[in-house]
Amino acid sequence: MKKPLIAMIVIFTLLLVWAIVFWQPTAGKSGAHLPLGLAEAPKGGDFTLHSANGPLSLHDLKGKVVLLYFGYTFCPDICPTSLAFNSQALATLDKTELDKVQMLFVSVDPERDTLDKLKAYTAYFHPSILGLSGTPEEIAKAAKLYGASYARQETGSAGGYVVDHSAYTYVIAPDGSLFKSLDHGTPPPQVVEAIRAAMKKG
Amino acid sequence: MTTKFHSIRIIACVLGTLIAAPVLAGPAAESVSANDPYVRMAPPGMTVTGSFMVLKNADNKDHKLVKAESPVAKVVELHTHTNEGGVMKMRPVKDIEIKAQGEAVLKPGGLHVMLIGLKQELKEGNNVPITLTFEDGSRKKIEAPVRQIQTEMKMNMEMKHDHEGMKH
Repeated sequence: MKKPLIAMIVIFTLLLVWAIVFWQPTAGKSGAHLPLGLAEAPKGGDFTLHSANGPLSLHDLKGKVVLLYFGYTFCPDICPTSLAFNSQALATLDKTELDKVQMLFVSVDPERDTLDKLKAYTAYFHPSILGLSGTPEEIAKAAKLYGASYARQETGSAGGYVVDHSAYTYVIAPDGSLFKSLDHGTPPPQVVEAIRAAMKKG
Repeated sequence: MTTKFHSIRIIACVLGTLIAAPVLAGPAAESVSANDPYVRMAPPGMTVTGSFMVLKNADNKDHKLVKAESPVAKVVELHTHTNEGGVMKMRPVKDIEIKAQGEAVLKPGGLHVMLIGLKQELKEGNNVPITLTFEDGSRKKIEAPVRQIQTEMKMNMEMKHDHEGMKH
């Protein structure tokens, strides 16, 4: 009577054994590529870059909470999502609070992102966001301080190269020290919470 | 007795599926539906953007989306995003598989239809025609409304809210 059930259990067990012996996670294969890990743990620190309004250093923003993000405008998906979430957080702040916050969008694609393009791009999300760029060396220096990683990749897409990049938002306290790194897709209420906590620090 | 009955039922189900599958299998475009498609409005001056949707396969066999075209863009490609240890990587993909009786979710941060070289500025409310081609060559024409990212986020939050509400 119970034969079919026993047979099913046997087949299932054999499948399970086969799976354990032969299954290889695909993640193992990517080890063959050059891994693009995060550069290093973020330390924070001062840097100088350029906006459409002229040069800007982090120390110019002393007394403000700074949200720092590294991305590029050709990115159709990740950067707009991060910017939209952070913008919504900025929109939640009252005017006195907003005056003490500065969001910076640093381009990791200086070849295509001109300062004017960055200005129009960031303003679309929130008028207070500043788009920054610089020489590849200046950008690399700033990115290194925050452990932001990026690498230009040819993918065969007709749209040209893409830039792989980490998508954290670094929250910098009013005293210029790194307060917190927020993961990509952190919901606006948590961004607001982090901004307010950072304000108390300085 | 119950065990035997149960086994017979399982066998009947399996046989039924095997027999029914070839009969039901029509062109992929007829079995696959594109639900809630939209195009994300590109920020000013930007000539690339993504289109997102949920592809549902009512068929008993797997299907593949192999190509997308649209008159609003110079080039349309199928792309995905992967998150490898915090690093976001965007890559073109050859096709997007839609499992039998399953779905493929094209959403921000993952699979998307990439519109490259927009020929015109897309405004919220515009409808973007997109033609989807499947592995058997069958095609499906859809219209995807343009949504501002803020609208998109609001809709997502409302959906989440409804979902949470349902749990109570």
